[in-house]
Amino acid sequence: MTSLSAPLGRQKRARRFPVGLLLVAAPVILVVALVIYPILSSLSTTLNVDVAGAGRFSLANYARFFSDDQSLRNLRFTAWFTTTTVALLFLVCLPLALYLRFSFGRLPAFVQAIATFPLFVPGIIVAYALIRFIGPNGTLQSLLDAAGLHGYRTPYLTTWGPVIGLLWEGIPLTLLVLVSGLSQVPQAAIDAARDVGAGPLRILVFIILPLIRNSIIVALSLEFLRIFGAFTQPYLLGPASPESMGVYMQRTFGDLQDPVQAATQAMITFLCCSVAGVIYVRTIIANRRAGR
Amino acid sequence: MSAILRKMVHELPGALITLLLVGFIVLPIAGVFLWAFAEVWRYPSILPTQWGFRFWGMMLGRADVWEAFRTSLLLSVIVTGLSAIICLPAAYAFARLEFPGKSLLLLSFLTIQAFPKFGLYIAIATIFFSLGLVGTFTGVVVVQLVNTLLLMIWIPVGAFQNVDIRLEEAARDVGAGPIRTFVSVTLPQAGPAIAAALLLTFVGTFYETEGAFLIGAPNIRTMPVLMISLINNQIVVQYGAVLSVLLWVPSFIALLFARKILNARTIAGGVGA
Repeated sequence: MTSLSAPLGRQKRARRFPVGLLLVAAPVILVVALVIYPILSSLSTTLNVDVAGAGRFSLANYARFFSDDQSLRNLRFTAWFTTTTVALLFLVCLPLALYLRFSFGRLPAFVQAIATFPLFVPGIIVAYALIRFIGPNGTLQSLLDAAGLHGYRTPYLTTWGPVIGLLWEGIPLTLLVLVSGLSQVPQAAIDAARDVGAGPLRILVFIILPLIRNSIIVALSLEFLRIFGAFTQPYLLGPASPESMGVYMQRTFGDLQDPVQAATQAMITFLCCSVAGVIYVRTIIANRRAGR
Repeated sequence: MSAILRKMVHELPGALITLLLVGFIVLPIAGVFLWAFAEVWRYPSILPTQWGFRFWGMMLGRADVWEAFRTSLLLSVIVTGLSAIICLPAAYAFARLEFPGKSLLLLSFLTIQAFPKFGLYIAIATIFFSLGLVGTFTGVVVVQLVNTLLLMIWIPVGAFQNVDIRLEEAARDVGAGPIRTFVSVTLPQAGPAIAAALLLTFVGTFYETEGAFLIGAPNIRTMPVLMISLINNQIVVQYGAVLSVLLWVPSFIALLFARKILNARTIAGGVGA
């Protein structure tokens, strides 16, 4: 590494006084202040109830959440649209990524440009655009009518609204992570399998998928986290009830002015996402150990 | 004949994919542009029946639009500046210096990604609530840092790591001091990626909706927050369309330039993949 090529004198100086530690202090303190402390603080707030002026450990806040029908419905709805959207993202992006990896010329470049385009469109504009497009009497309905297909039922303000918006937003990142993984699949491995008579499906299942396993895990766990905590798309495209956890938390905090219950909902959201979060961080640590 | 047929079969998947993607991704955005210049567009006509700039004048005459624009601009400038001051020296240290706990500290930034964003905002908001920061500009600035930290560390670290160390050593051998070496050798090489990170931070902050909406309400209205209220009160369709076009075109042009620097690798690398 760096220290090996540095002259001995400089190396010694660095060891006496870790300037590096000083330089990274500010952002590390910010992560503690903006991520770790708020989460621990919320956890302790939600696990305490006030009994005659003194805090006492209690699960009352959580019991309230899990005995409330509306809360449970919102949680179930969030879990449903999250798993649905993540599954759809995988089904859409894997063929796309394979196409981009194994074809050449102008068309794939054009396809990649279009597929990564949502990266440059802010979520709020996406929501607005989709309302005009898939909404009642929107562009899609006009186009279908012109083609002689009547009886369009809009997904806007239904449970499918958030799925469409979140899918739209999620395509570029999932695709880019998969493409980046596929670019590391050696052509030799594919050629060798083909030489012994393996068909495309067998090559995909036994050669390619195992090799890009980490990319798939990173992409899907990141999307799971993003979608489970989503606010803008469910808020603008989804039904008034059931709500996504994001919308529910916002309403509890902002409209109902109940920070403790909002924090309880946040903790439950974290709990649901903890598996995805741990998988994400572990995969990335493993990737870095493998000396990417 | 069969050659043509084979070529068609070969190109069919590509054509089909292109068609579906254009339909799903491009058409909705194209619709926003049409709406912005439509004075009359009633269902079921496929295109507007009367075009014009009438709604542009109405939109640009609104005081709340300009107020939100000023707020968003100021917010983005401050957050980008703060992030650069906080993160760039740290990114250099992570890339180039040795110190105890380095890889663990670098990974600690990933914890930001490992939580659903809105839950994190709520946890922060409950603390801001007791500090009286909800509804203040300061509160909105601080909550934006949650998003910018990871980006402004991760991309510049990669940039500094890619600088050829032999060039720096050569500069020092001919007598350049550490600052001179950094300014004339290191920075020009890492510059483009750092510029891209700054641009992403600026644009990302400008359009960030959820933190600003949660922490800023009801006093601080950024452009996206204004856009939410326009969508919710949908009186005139064109207002939202004009605002979208107005807002989005400059950033799109800027990002097109950034694309040269930001290849798929950088973006995938930005999430640690």
